[in-house]
Amino acid sequence: MDRRAFLTYNAAIAAVPLTGAALTGLSDAASAATRPPPIDFKANLPATGTFPDKWICGSSSCMDNTDPPVQVHWYNPHTAILRQNKAYSYEAPFAPLYFGNDRVLLLDEGYVQLRNDYDLRAVVDQCIEDWCRRNGRDPASLELLVAFSHLHDDHYAATNQFADRPNTRYMGLTHEEMVGFWGMTNFPEERVTLDLGGREVLIWGSPGHVVSEFAYYDSYTQILYTGDMFYRGRCYISFWEPWYDSMKRLIEFCGTHPVTHVMGCHVEISKDGEDYAYGMTYQPDEAPVQMTVQQLREAWAYAQKITEPGIYFTGTVFLCNQTRGTTTIDKNPYRY
Amino acid sequence: MFTRSQPVWGHFLAQSPTRSTGFSGSSQAATGRAYPNGNPALGYNPPGVRNTDSAVPLHRSKPVMHDYACDGPAAGSLSFRWTYGSNVAAKNRDPRVQVVQYNEDTFVLRQNVCVHWEAPFTYLLFGNKGALLIDTGATANAAHYPLRETVDAIIARWAKARGRTRVPLTVALTSAEDIAQNQGLVQFADRPDTTIVPKPLALMQKAYGIANWPSGTGRIDLGDRVITVVPTPGTHKDGVSFYDPYCDLLFTGDLLFPGKINIGNDTDFVASLERLKAFAAANSVKWLLGGHIEMMFVPGKYYPRFATFKPYERVLEMTPNLIDEALEAARAVQGKDMMLIRPDFVLFNGVSPDQRTPIWPEGVPNIRAPHPF
Repeated sequence: MDRRAFLTYNAAIAAVPLTGAALTGLSDAASAATRPPPIDFKANLPATGTFPDKWICGSSSCMDNTDPPVQVHWYNPHTAILRQNKAYSYEAPFAPLYFGNDRVLLLDEGYVQLRNDYDLRAVVDQCIEDWCRRNGRDPASLELLVAFSHLHDDHYAATNQFADRPNTRYMGLTHEEMVGFWGMTNFPEERVTLDLGGREVLIWGSPGHVVSEFAYYDSYTQILYTGDMFYRGRCYISFWEPWYDSMKRLIEFCGTHPVTHVMGCHVEISKDGEDYAYGMTYQPDEAPVQMTVQQLREAWAYAQKITEPGIYFTGTVFLCNQTRGTTTIDKNPYRY
Repeated sequence: MFTRSQPVWGHFLAQSPTRSTGFSGSSQAATGRAYPNGNPALGYNPPGVRNTDSAVPLHRSKPVMHDYACDGPAAGSLSFRWTYGSNVAAKNRDPRVQVVQYNEDTFVLRQNVCVHWEAPFTYLLFGNKGALLIDTGATANAAHYPLRETVDAIIARWAKARGRTRVPLTVALTSAEDIAQNQGLVQFADRPDTTIVPKPLALMQKAYGIANWPSGTGRIDLGDRVITVVPTPGTHKDGVSFYDPYCDLLFTGDLLFPGKINIGNDTDFVASLERLKAFAAANSVKWLLGGHIEMMFVPGKYYPRFATFKPYERVLEMTPNLIDEALEAARAVQGKDMMLIRPDFVLFNGVSPDQRTPIWPEGVPNIRAPHPF
């Protein structure tokens, strides 16, 4: 069995308990009898859903923040979007949690490592439990895939919290392990399909911000998740040409597939296009995380005119072309 | 803290120790008292006490007048680590206002980094006729940053120790326009017996008695402790520094501090440092105390803006020879849009406060500080 086959292998069959074949047969039969019919993730697409009007976005005094460490927003009954509290980490990444009949995909884990500081594991477990209760399922019958959009610590810091979780696989912290996790052999062009059990997620390479980055397209909600390569804020483009090619792939994908929302990992900009400087822990008027395909196309049109390193505002996002070390948008207000 | 009424159980415990003191063998039990170091519920000098190390003098009949004249700087110490925030800012439980007593008449207050990342320092000085509060912190909300409550408590305690019924307070700012230092001012708006130095430049100069801005100086008389006000625009248009001749401390606010100094006007900045240099040559200066700390304790490295966890901070105090170094650096950046790293501070002239540079200063060891996350 190769890696991709293993990945798409039905988790319920793959899990062979140690109690013996006869018992297994019985419990399989029992669970098959009690297990509700699978959810149809392929009818009435795209599945509708809503983003919150306003995400929890920090507080003027961090130590007086009483919000939960992770905001859980159910986009629709089978899709949760998690966001880290700004008072737990200024990076406050967004993390989708996609549910299928056989497995659950968590994309991005936030910027705090320890469970006693930031219990992401409990939040994800609770989401899975809630979903299972609503759908008459046993949480133990679902496999959890812990992956991340790209190889930066604000996106994988909490991965360790899932190391001892049963029925869980998590992505390794090297480029080879990441690519291997999705069974890719031709990064970044190759597009693979992850089957969550009736719900397919398309994954392909999207380097540019870093080398090791993926784009994720959920065929159920038709949300295109673009990681840090394209998000509502300062897109730090470390490698222009790979980024340009990745943008081209996204645009071509949008030409052939229906996309409801383009969603990045962070928001660093206000509704009026004002920049929230790097490190801010309070963004009272922040822009929505979701973008339209039109906004992506505008950015692409803008990017085609860029020839030099620098900071460019496309109307939606800042394209910081190879300026990572010196990205400076705001000014000293006391200059006279 | 000091003025709260005592809970009833404090007295109850003091009178009837509930612990068995005979058999535990601990040194506390050996004294046979529930409070071997004295019951905190009782006042400073309980009736009948004769010998005490309390700050409150015995048998006081009139207010204590302190003699502020002394050879050299008055003794004082800042040997206490500043609170430095926490990795998860929401879980920080440090005091919102950290109070460090430099000496009996000089207090240094710091705002908690997890209340506001600027974590400004505020200074409270006492004289025989009144007190001076220099700067007011970055947060107006008293529930988040109870500066007024803390200052009131310190003043009440000091007044009790010195036998005063009233201590007039003056609130002055190193820069009235700096929102990292002027936000707490509103907490003092209705405080009785309080003078707030007005914000408009002309009125401020008049309040300090500065005839020639910026070459002249002003003064604030606290009663035998006369604070000199030195105009030091440069980072702020209305910047001033305060000199305390009792402790020989120079409070420089945003002009010169161990951190990222954002120059507002480089000509003024150089001129102010020159003036400060001349002032330090003519007056004994032990330390410069600025408004913030942003440097790490490794040379030339600093925390980014908005950091709420700074476990490797440099100390607050700067020696006066750093004025010369700052002056040299200021002349190097004058007229240029650039940043310049020095071991104890970083200058930003005409560039964004987030500017970075690949240029590392020559002769300064480049040490990577630990980066916790």
